[in-house]
Amino acid sequence: MPEGLWDTSKTPEGIVGNWFYRDGSMVEAGAKVAELMVEKTVFDITAPAAGELHILVPKDGIVRPGTLIGRIDGA
Amino acid sequence: MPSKSNRILTMSHAIAEGIANEMRTDSSVFVMGEDIAAYGGIFGATTGLLAEFGEQRIRDTPISETAFIGAGVGAAMAGMRPIVELMFVDFFGVCMDAIYNLAAKNIYFSGGNCKVPLVIMTATGGGYSDAGQHSQTLHATFAHMPGLKVAVPSNAYDAKGLMISAIRDDSPVLYMFHKGLQGLAWMASPEKAATEVPDDAYAIPLGEAKVVRPGKDATIVTLSMMVHRSMEAAEQLAKDGIDVEVVDLRTLVPLDRATVFKSVAKTGRLIVVDEDYSSFGVTAEIITSVVERDPSVLKAKPRRLAFPDIPIPYSRPMEQFALPNAEKITEAVRETVKKGH
Repeated sequence: MPEGLWDTSKTPEGIVGNWFYRDGSMVEAGAKVAELMVEKTVFDITAPAAGELHILVPKDGIVRPGTLIGRIDGA
Repeated sequence: MPSKSNRILTMSHAIAEGIANEMRTDSSVFVMGEDIAAYGGIFGATTGLLAEFGEQRIRDTPISETAFIGAGVGAAMAGMRPIVELMFVDFFGVCMDAIYNLAAKNIYFSGGNCKVPLVIMTATGGGYSDAGQHSQTLHATFAHMPGLKVAVPSNAYDAKGLMISAIRDDSPVLYMFHKGLQGLAWMASPEKAATEVPDDAYAIPLGEAKVVRPGKDATIVTLSMMVHRSMEAAEQLAKDGIDVEVVDLRTLVPLDRATVFKSVAKTGRLIVVDEDYSSFGVTAEIITSVVERDPSVLKAKPRRLAFPDIPIPYSRPMEQFALPNAEKITEAVRETVKKGH
């Protein structure tokens, strides 16, 4: 999750709104894999690489900028 | 058949993607409504469309349903395929003339010379303490009006396919999505409302119900959110050896009476579950569909489970007390199976 995605001085935390793939799914680079919800603003998270997705923060889990929410193991 | 995908979409994203698929191939499709552009629809049904299609085709409107739904009827009759969003179905009062005196009737009044390919997309349902003017489903209010087709999806896969059929249809279609199925981060949603959804366009015909769980002891006929509550009940009942068939209507107009009858002819027992008001509603229509054709298929009296005939309470305990739920459905099925002979 990128630093500086939202103004943390006003809203320190967000949540994982949805995962669009199940844990262990193969995903393509650039695929929208998750969305974060901060107050009522949604941020898309795209896969930085292709491979097998491992979810580390589940749906509704709390995130801050810099939180590792998932890992993609290269195919 | 659409291409296979392992991608899980929420119902809100599936609806938006269905609209986008059609907008890419048909320049006459456009969307109007309150907060549907910059905000993406307050229940997410138009998320991302403004960025791809621009403000000429994704149009935020002033807060006047009377004006923009009326404009939608006119645009449809002039050759466009508009989708207009009525933010909450509860707000239909100020635009009902456009819906039922214009959209629903103009094909007939023109002797079939005018088409009205309009989609009215609207949010339904309660369960989250939003009170009596923001929590109704009103399925029967619209299904009752000749001239309107009515689609009521229960999950993301059906939502996309039904939206595409609604857009392609030359008659006005009321497309009713339950807020609690949309998969919004700020509102709880049943896990099975989000499904695998193919990227490509695919159409689910209006008027085809689906048996979502086969069973032999009793039939539950239901729709929208209550499909999920009924499936929970069916799983509970299965533990006690009661094997329930669940039919998801998916559309109310046209109504797939054949699938309903076939299921009840097999199980002999019928329970109809609807979140809309009980009297004069979907539940009565489904029961009539069976007894009018052949009451002898029933081994027990049919039952209905719906919202009591009262405005929806704001108070959480009162609203939850009134709503149909898995426990009440389980009890209704048990009673029906027990008293059968």
